[in-house]
Amino acid sequence: MNKTKKLERRDFLKLGASGLAAGALSASCATVASKQGETTVSPQAAQPPVSAPAAEPAPAKSAKSPRRMLGRTGIQVPIVSMGVMNADNPNLVRAALDGGIFLLDTAHGYQDGRNEEMLGTVLKDRKRDSFVLATKVHLSTLDRKTGLFSKETRGEEIEEKLDISLKRLGLDQVDILHLHNQSAREGALYPPVLKALEKAKRDGKARFLGLSTHKNEPEVIRAAVEAKLYDVVLTSYNFRQDHHLEVQKAVAEAAQAGLGIVAMKTQAGVYWDTAKRSPINMTAALKWALRDPNVHTAIPGFTTFDQLQTDLAVLRDPTLTDDEKRSLEAPKLVGFFCQGCGQCLDPCLAKLPIPDLMRSFMYAHAYRNREAAQALLLELGLPESPCGDCDECPVRCAKGFDVRQRVRDIVRLRGVPREFLG
Amino acid sequence: MSILAMQRGLVALLALSAAASSPTATQGEPGGVPKVSSLFPKIEGWKISDGPTSYTPETLFEFIDGGAESFLHFDFQDLASATYVQDAVRRGDNRKSSRALQGSSSAGAGKVELTVDIYHHRDALRAFGMYTQERPAGTAPLPVGVEGYAGPDYLEFVVGPYYVKLLQSGGKGQSVLRPFADKLAAGLPGTREPPAVLQVFPDRGKRVRAEKLAARDFLGQSFLHDAVAVPYQIAGASFRLFVVEGKDSADVRTMVQRYRALAKAAGAGADAVGPQGSATVKDPLNGEVVLQWKGRWLWGAVDQSCAERQALVDELGRNLSVLDK
Repeated sequence: MNKTKKLERRDFLKLGASGLAAGALSASCATVASKQGETTVSPQAAQPPVSAPAAEPAPAKSAKSPRRMLGRTGIQVPIVSMGVMNADNPNLVRAALDGGIFLLDTAHGYQDGRNEEMLGTVLKDRKRDSFVLATKVHLSTLDRKTGLFSKETRGEEIEEKLDISLKRLGLDQVDILHLHNQSAREGALYPPVLKALEKAKRDGKARFLGLSTHKNEPEVIRAAVEAKLYDVVLTSYNFRQDHHLEVQKAVAEAAQAGLGIVAMKTQAGVYWDTAKRSPINMTAALKWALRDPNVHTAIPGFTTFDQLQTDLAVLRDPTLTDDEKRSLEAPKLVGFFCQGCGQCLDPCLAKLPIPDLMRSFMYAHAYRNREAAQALLLELGLPESPCGDCDECPVRCAKGFDVRQRVRDIVRLRGVPREFLG
Repeated sequence: MSILAMQRGLVALLALSAAASSPTATQGEPGGVPKVSSLFPKIEGWKISDGPTSYTPETLFEFIDGGAESFLHFDFQDLASATYVQDAVRRGDNRKSSRALQGSSSAGAGKVELTVDIYHHRDALRAFGMYTQERPAGTAPLPVGVEGYAGPDYLEFVVGPYYVKLLQSGGKGQSVLRPFADKLAAGLPGTREPPAVLQVFPDRGKRVRAEKLAARDFLGQSFLHDAVAVPYQIAGASFRLFVVEGKDSADVRTMVQRYRALAKAAGAGADAVGPQGSATVKDPLNGEVVLQWKGRWLWGAVDQSCAERQALVDELGRNLSVLDK
């Protein structure tokens, strides 16, 4: 990756601090045309897109980041947006907005409504045209197993829940209202539901309509096109989906038909394994989804400023490098996976947490995720010279790892500036 | 012994005792913790019409979409969901639940259905933590389990490591939630006491029932875990007092060290961290954060400052020593 394009930590920290102090940034329009509907945005270039709102959301000062047109909505969205679902820190949302991530995705049901309330505390201090807000409404009469609605389905439930959501958010209108969690064509096309969605748009409570899907996505995406009502599709899309080529095809058809495409679950479960010992390279996973020009934005969920920083770096430069591409190949654990037997612990005179160090080594060399490797190292609180004065290493690993060599190799990562880890 | 350890011990004891005296004992998992799908009791006047259906951390998304993320943050273990229907009505309505067919009817006009979701977390503290994430501000507490709250058609409560949600449909405005919840709660193993750490927060200016627990990523910092934050309002200033429980003293020192390193990157200095101390960190994103630490405890204040705040932080520190006894 071109290091100069990555957002430096120091810049990010300054950005966040200024954002907190300044509150809302002023809105300014900015688009510069480029190929495949992608635009690079800077505050200096002001040219509102056709049918876009009067003023486009403002990117961070001095930031340049690509945007894509969200289908027929005409909204120029940042390629990386925020899945707010489990963030409960308003300052994190503020930092995201200040960093140029201005499309926020939540849902009526997240944290039983507390998620929308938290967003409301942030948005009340922002100009309405400085952010794009998407929420989702789930109908209680949807059978999750079949994706079908029961006869008791009341379209009014959409309006009732949307009204509550608007109140929590402190808004008169959401930009995108999604029908939550569709998994069957029939559900996505169920007339009473379509009628209610249409009413929400007609009443001015939603600017655009969408649906979300993370099961039978191709079928649902095609139904969204068929309905001729939805403007946006929010779909699972990641490199680990067995059927990702089918999703890709359906996404292309929908984009061709003018729908905006938002990708979710791009982080593909975050870990390779169920024991959560082997993190997926988040940067690479996000970039993989954004490689598809028909994906207009993605909504990774983040809860820490470090994760935000990672996503902001992708926002600035979504180029998937060869190294990152390789990191998305299923890892071959043989030769890297420490079984954690602990046989090494007693013999180590320096009492080092060797299994953790072997894990860090695995992150760096098997998963090519040096950020995760460094984060783990820093958590271990190791002495400056971990092997101390030991001339000979008494540790004999049950799996035959050369522990001393691996420790010496991996601990050097501690001093590497974060911006050089990508 | 840590709060978490004490609570885990208590939960395990209660779980063992409940398992020994209930039909769930033979269905228990190793360690005496019953399978969550076995926790649906027979309740007079009610029958299970659907379920229980179980979900794991890998499949929770299928049940609650992106809302699953929050539960996973609180070490969600598994969930079982079942629908109860009133027995008398069910006898008069022999149709199998037919919600699977779009456009079909599943309930007669007077039919009352209760959907019961039991979320099982790693321990009582995390179950309560998830509950605090979803609890609306200003709702009246219900004495069900550790605590609960209710609306016209829902009731939610927590017992031990279980966070339980009831949703009623039908009944023409007559709520059956509370008596049902009482019976359900009585059969659930686990503590009925709120986390002990909540008791150490000073009462002056405290906003009651507004505390929030964070299992990880407290203040948006990946190195701060197992935190409780309580909002205060004094003399026009709004701030939060917080307590972070480290695994041990070294864990706490690492947290402080990393926080200082973050501040240093923003221009502040960073000194060596001893086993006990205090500091004010200029967190570039959360503003000024007051920190004090001793042993496995890290505590302090964030958000707006006022003269009273430091006194409360000091009092909080003194109160924390009670938990070490």
